[in-house]
Amino acid sequence: MRNILRKEMKLSASVLSYLFILFGLMFLLPGYPILCGAFFVSLGLFQSFQSAREANDIVFSVLLPVAKKDVVKGKYLFVCMIEVCAFLLMALAVILRMTALSQSVVYRSNALMNANFFALGTACVIFGLFNWIFVGGFFRTAYKFARPFVTFIITCFLVIFAAEALHHIPGLEKLNAFGTDDIALQLILLAAGVLIFLLMTALSCKKACEKFERIDL
Amino acid sequence: MVIVEVQKLVKKYPSFELKNVSFCLESGRITGFIGRNGAGKTTTIKSMLNMVHPDSGEIRYFDRPFAGNEADIKKRIGYSAGTVSWYPRKKIKDIVSIVKRFYDTWDEEAYSKYRSLFSIDETKTPLELSEGMKVKVNLVLALSHKAEVLILDEPTSGLDPFSRNELLDIFIGLRNEGVAVFFSTHIISDIEKCADDIVYISEGRIATALSKENFIQQYSGNGESLEDTMLRLEGGAVHA
Repeated sequence: MRNILRKEMKLSASVLSYLFILFGLMFLLPGYPILCGAFFVSLGLFQSFQSAREANDIVFSVLLPVAKKDVVKGKYLFVCMIEVCAFLLMALAVILRMTALSQSVVYRSNALMNANFFALGTACVIFGLFNWIFVGGFFRTAYKFARPFVTFIITCFLVIFAAEALHHIPGLEKLNAFGTDDIALQLILLAAGVLIFLLMTALSCKKACEKFERIDL
Repeated sequence: MVIVEVQKLVKKYPSFELKNVSFCLESGRITGFIGRNGAGKTTTIKSMLNMVHPDSGEIRYFDRPFAGNEADIKKRIGYSAGTVSWYPRKKIKDIVSIVKRFYDTWDEEAYSKYRSLFSIDETKTPLELSEGMKVKVNLVLALSHKAEVLILDEPTSGLDPFSRNELLDIFIGLRNEGVAVFFSTHIISDIEKCADDIVYISEGRIATALSKENFIQQYSGNGESLEDTMLRLEGGAVHA
């Protein structure tokens, strides 16, 4: 798998996939829907799928001495690697906002969602949705990606809208906790987000391997 | 020794069908795979490499089914897809540096030899290469990892007569080292020059699979060239 990941990184990937990891730092922006950062990271990944398709990457990969399913796993591995890098940047931003910047006026007076563990967990859900809807959808044909990407965009912005709206609902204010307030709840929400990401990615990868095996290239 | 067996391969498309395609490839033999455009050559080759999923039939390499042993078997196969170009804007040397890591048997000496024989400039990108040079790059990749079987889809298309001649001589050299070479073509003179066996496919069916001598004996008239024989057979759609 190391070789196929290296191939993904050096031949298949668009440089935008790497650059767009920096959008993880949008978690530092006050007065901005921070989860859009997760969407932009996904947009960077989409660029890699686009450039890979133009370069006949899938056929090239299938001809390498690997099992056909390893081609799929290589793509998922690359996607997850970028998502984990972005997640780590987001986590850094969240920790900064929860500690050194927890009393900052610009963040305290922020009408939009606060960058906390709940936001981080929701970013994981968005990444999981990207893997489930887009990457899984791409491997139905290993060619068409417009419909899966549009479906992902709609779903992603529904999730962002819901996450932004939830803490305004009476009783759910704790979702917008500052600093280490309600830390137990925050950690549970983060763990749930990570779990959803892992489940969606694993199930999508398994299904994509099965579909890809039956595709004629 | 038989090292590749294609057994009763069936693949149905709405307007085309591979019908019970069966043949064998032996080590130390060059097999020409011939048939007109759309006869099923590329579908057969793609099926042999798991790029096309056959409806039924089995592919065996080295006495092992391809299904379930794909990665190991692919390490022992060289494949070239004619003029298809990969990663048009990446330098050849970058593509090669990735590909060679997949093969324990990568032979740097062989790579340098074939690269210099085909005058390939590693610093160029596929975008900067002519169609013929793309074929050569694909061939160099296929030839540089001590493959025991070479499966080549129209390797001579787009090549100038000199390069074609050089390539056919390379096939003969590899055959003498025990490599099985299987190449599709519609250039009959390529078959005439170097093939030991002929697999002739017509309308998705293997019309005949014989040694070249037996093929000529069975199908060619007196003084008739192989090209004339093939044209006549294709016109009459002979199925042995």
